[in-house]
Amino acid sequence: MTAPDSKGRSTAGRTDEQVEQSLYAQREKIYPREVHGLFARLRTLGVVGLLGIYYLTPWLRWDGHQAILLDLPARKFHIFSLTLWPQDFIYLAFLLIIAGLTLFFVTALAGRIWCGYACPQTVWTEAFLWIERKVEGDRMRQQKLDAMPMSARKFRIKATKQILWLLFAGWTGFTFVGYFTPIIELGQRLLTFNLGPWETFWVIFYGFATYGNAGFMREQVCKYMCPYARFQSAMFDKDTLIVSYLPERGEPRGSRKRSTDYKSKGLGDCIDCTLCVQVCPTGIDIRDGLQYECIACSACIDACDDVMDKMGYPRGLIAYTTEHAMRGGSSHILRPRVVVYALLLLTIMSIFAYSLSQRSTLGLDVIRDRNRLYRETDEGRIENVYILKIINMDDKGHAFKLRVEGIEDIELFIDTSRIWVDAGEVLELPVRLRVEEDELHERSNKVTFKLDATDDPGLKTHEEARFLGP
Amino acid sequence: MAEKKIPRIQKCIAVLWPSFLVAVVATGAFFSAFDPRDLLPFDTEIDVSPLGIYTIGFFIFWLITAVSGLGTLYFAVTNCMRQNRGNPEL
Repeated sequence: MTAPDSKGRSTAGRTDEQVEQSLYAQREKIYPREVHGLFARLRTLGVVGLLGIYYLTPWLRWDGHQAILLDLPARKFHIFSLTLWPQDFIYLAFLLIIAGLTLFFVTALAGRIWCGYACPQTVWTEAFLWIERKVEGDRMRQQKLDAMPMSARKFRIKATKQILWLLFAGWTGFTFVGYFTPIIELGQRLLTFNLGPWETFWVIFYGFATYGNAGFMREQVCKYMCPYARFQSAMFDKDTLIVSYLPERGEPRGSRKRSTDYKSKGLGDCIDCTLCVQVCPTGIDIRDGLQYECIACSACIDACDDVMDKMGYPRGLIAYTTEHAMRGGSSHILRPRVVVYALLLLTIMSIFAYSLSQRSTLGLDVIRDRNRLYRETDEGRIENVYILKIINMDDKGHAFKLRVEGIEDIELFIDTSRIWVDAGEVLELPVRLRVEEDELHERSNKVTFKLDATDDPGLKTHEEARFLGP
Repeated sequence: MAEKKIPRIQKCIAVLWPSFLVAVVATGAFFSAFDPRDLLPFDTEIDVSPLGIYTIGFFIFWLITAVSGLGTLYFAVTNCMRQNRGNPEL
């Protein structure tokens, strides 16, 4: 370990107030220095793209309704032209499994690029950091400001930052609720101060979570609360992409003039400028080796490449590499681990796609009348009563024809002449079945209800039930 | 254990955070099977919107999972204390 002052943290008159008692440990507030370069641009692209998707999606329209609306009160999820019902919960489970496996697969291949570019924690923290830099200035100014005693100016700057953070967090919470309640109406109600109590609660709850996680907790979430950060190393092997400092090239580190023939002095390429530490959002020194706190954001790569350019040294003292490559070997992309993850992923995705394409938009539930097992009619026939629930999950209404099979000469009685179910509706239909007693060979007999749409020969379903006799 | 004492706030998060995650999943699974309108008694006087029932349901799940997490933490810490009784290293 290098001495603390070589880590560049104490350059701007750090005071004890900055060593705040944080949630997990004595924590020094980290002021990540702004960084420019290829990976910083990629991350900005990720941040803008993902935040754009998050904030704009609820405003998309599709076929006269909100394109993505998880309508909880109506218990229907609208995803473009697809409408999912509670009984389609299995697809959500599928999606979660696919997301998990994708994460495993990507981690085995490319390490923690999820953490560095796409994780909501990173994305919102970057956005909050951006606001902080716009208001408070760069790293040095922020450190100076925090070291200053409270003054009117400091208060003004801090208040501005907090107000902007709160507004941004509030908008985030509002957007979140907009996924569950039609967002245009929600916006109108917000502007007229007419939000329902539960909507208000969730806007504040989600907004507060955003504010806390991205404004204050930041890297502590990654270090102490993130389950992925704890188990991601299980997916790693010697061919996984990691961000690493090349000690053979860099050591012994030391400062020198640009013109010096440092090699004759026995120095390595690292000039010990500590910029890689200053830009690190988790406050680690990458030169100490691979650490679990490293979220592979590659800010240190950008910072170091910049320094190498200025010094006239080749780039890549800190670089994306693999353990094999670092030891002079070659990296293999196709490893058993990667192939297994890929095959699993492919299988699950195929099953998902197939079952979604085969998904019936017609549901039929048969519920026996619970009051009475059976009834003998005046003509001496046996009658059973059922309630049929016909669920039309299609986006248009249909008329249906109902048949029943399973017992000779079974007769079906319904009270309506035409079975019609509107789009997205559930029809409860009382049904009576009657048979001659001689036709019943057992006490409990299997019958099958068959339901066909009259206007669409492909739309049909059947459901089994029991017919009880004496 | 390297730390002699786990800070209280850290214990709180260790209980509340995983239970929160599990409660989210449990709420989703539960309400995909049960319609909140079917859960209220037939002639109830209580008038809560479906969103309200989901919210209350979520917090009940969170309470249950948090209590379970609290139990785990309590047993883990007390067992640890008992095993290290008289051990000056802890």
